[in-house]
Amino acid sequence: MWEHRCKIAVSGVGFSRVTRSAEIPLAAHALQAVKGAVEDSGLAMADIDGLATYPELPATGHAVIDGVTIVSVNCMLAMLKLPNLSWHIQVETANIGGAVQQAVNALLAGVCTYAVVWRAMHNPKGTYQNLPGTYAQGATQFTAPYGFGGPGQGMAVAYTRWLERHGQSREKMATLAVTQRKHTHMNPHAYFYQQPLTREDYLNSRMVAYPFCLYDCDIPVQGAVAIVLTTAARARDLKPRPAYLAGYGQRLLFEVAGRIGSLSSYMEGGRSSSRLTWERSGFSPKDVDVAQIYDGFSASVIYGLESYGFCKEGEALDFIQDGRMELDGELPLNTFGGSLGTGRIHGLWHIIEGALQASGRAGERQVKDVNVSFVGASAPIVTGTTFIFVREPY
Amino acid sequence: MSDWSQVTRPIPVPNDWTKPFWDAAKQGVLKLQRCQACRRFQHPPYPTCVDCMAIDLAFEPVSGKGAIYTYTIMYHAGDKRFASAVPYASIIVELDDAPGALLAANLLDAPYTEAKVGRRVAVVFQPLNDDITLPQFRLAE
Repeated sequence: MWEHRCKIAVSGVGFSRVTRSAEIPLAAHALQAVKGAVEDSGLAMADIDGLATYPELPATGHAVIDGVTIVSVNCMLAMLKLPNLSWHIQVETANIGGAVQQAVNALLAGVCTYAVVWRAMHNPKGTYQNLPGTYAQGATQFTAPYGFGGPGQGMAVAYTRWLERHGQSREKMATLAVTQRKHTHMNPHAYFYQQPLTREDYLNSRMVAYPFCLYDCDIPVQGAVAIVLTTAARARDLKPRPAYLAGYGQRLLFEVAGRIGSLSSYMEGGRSSSRLTWERSGFSPKDVDVAQIYDGFSASVIYGLESYGFCKEGEALDFIQDGRMELDGELPLNTFGGSLGTGRIHGLWHIIEGALQASGRAGERQVKDVNVSFVGASAPIVTGTTFIFVREPY
Repeated sequence: MSDWSQVTRPIPVPNDWTKPFWDAAKQGVLKLQRCQACRRFQHPPYPTCVDCMAIDLAFEPVSGKGAIYTYTIMYHAGDKRFASAVPYASIIVELDDAPGALLAANLLDAPYTEAKVGRRVAVVFQPLNDDITLPQFRLAE
């Protein structure tokens, strides 16, 4: 077990307004989310002395403009002018989960006391994923000439492999889309709040990249979310009940850029990350009371459920049936609606929901008697991170 | 059958690690990067062997016969250059000679509905311009 188990906690959380397109600069969304998280903690902005983010714009072929299409640490520094700032970083290899883990490490090292982590996501005008222009350089030279563009197609080919190897049918995914949308109706911050989705809507929706139809893909939005992390001792003195971090992990798999479609790489990535998380926390999948698993594309949840050990390979689409992922089911899943419900804000919202469920602060969508709350915060293959939050720090 | 005649594909730009692949394709030969220490093929090319970390790598010819490892059918062409071909099959091929090396391609000369995991395919070569020829695949016995 991890010697730092339950020594760090998530305290406050914050949300910006989520809109389909950019009506105000992205920096304003990020600021709203960060202010919300600090206020939720009962702290003053001057108390914040650590900052971390993963600022990447996942849309390809668009200009990167700080404050407009990304919100870097520098941008946040300029807005907040923190008098006691003592540590900051922005990460590259492990998406937003990596930024959270860096903040945890910084708190454990004692180089800051209250760290804020935010994720701000921009929806550019026009086509989200552009293929390269006339020429395909680097890794894209082996994919773009064949019409492979964004990560959706890379995820789609792995999903086809999964479906055909295991003799499964994509229609079963309707349960995931519909149940998550049901959960979205209890999350007023979500983009699809109060917009119903039926099984028929899913089954009749247009195909985008087979096996993915429209409702297998999260919708690009403009928005931001944020959390405050601190030491367990300090967290106990703050306003909200803390969610204690029992363990975390990150994927240890290497995949060559441009090599797409390997289902086994998704599985190995997820296994490596979750193994660290189970070992460090001392828990196993059967101990988990509620799970948030990244769903930028629906199939990511399948790879997560199987590679993290919640069910056997080939069985995830059966596992989610029969009410098992509902709030009162065996494994309540993506209880905030997931990215399919909130819009594309990446995995920090999954981490937030994991923490809220652990601390009993999920309101109308609170799962009963939660102690162990699991989070898989990115697709397991390239940037996968996993977390376990607990209600009681034992 | 997808109509590729109106599609303008992005043109690959070879670099130090990938030039032998494109030089061979131009000659109608499929060559993949092979580790000279552990003898495994890998694709896309990489500066080191991703299995044994050796740096002694060379491009060697492969038969060009293999199977569809997986595929997607593209219905939505975000990039308008591919719009006239939708729906089309983008496939990932695993070659008999090179297990683990995965090549992206399109399934040519067949309806997209013929794309299935495990279907046998063989390489064909599709010139893009005087310098670049794309390896592509069609169904085989």
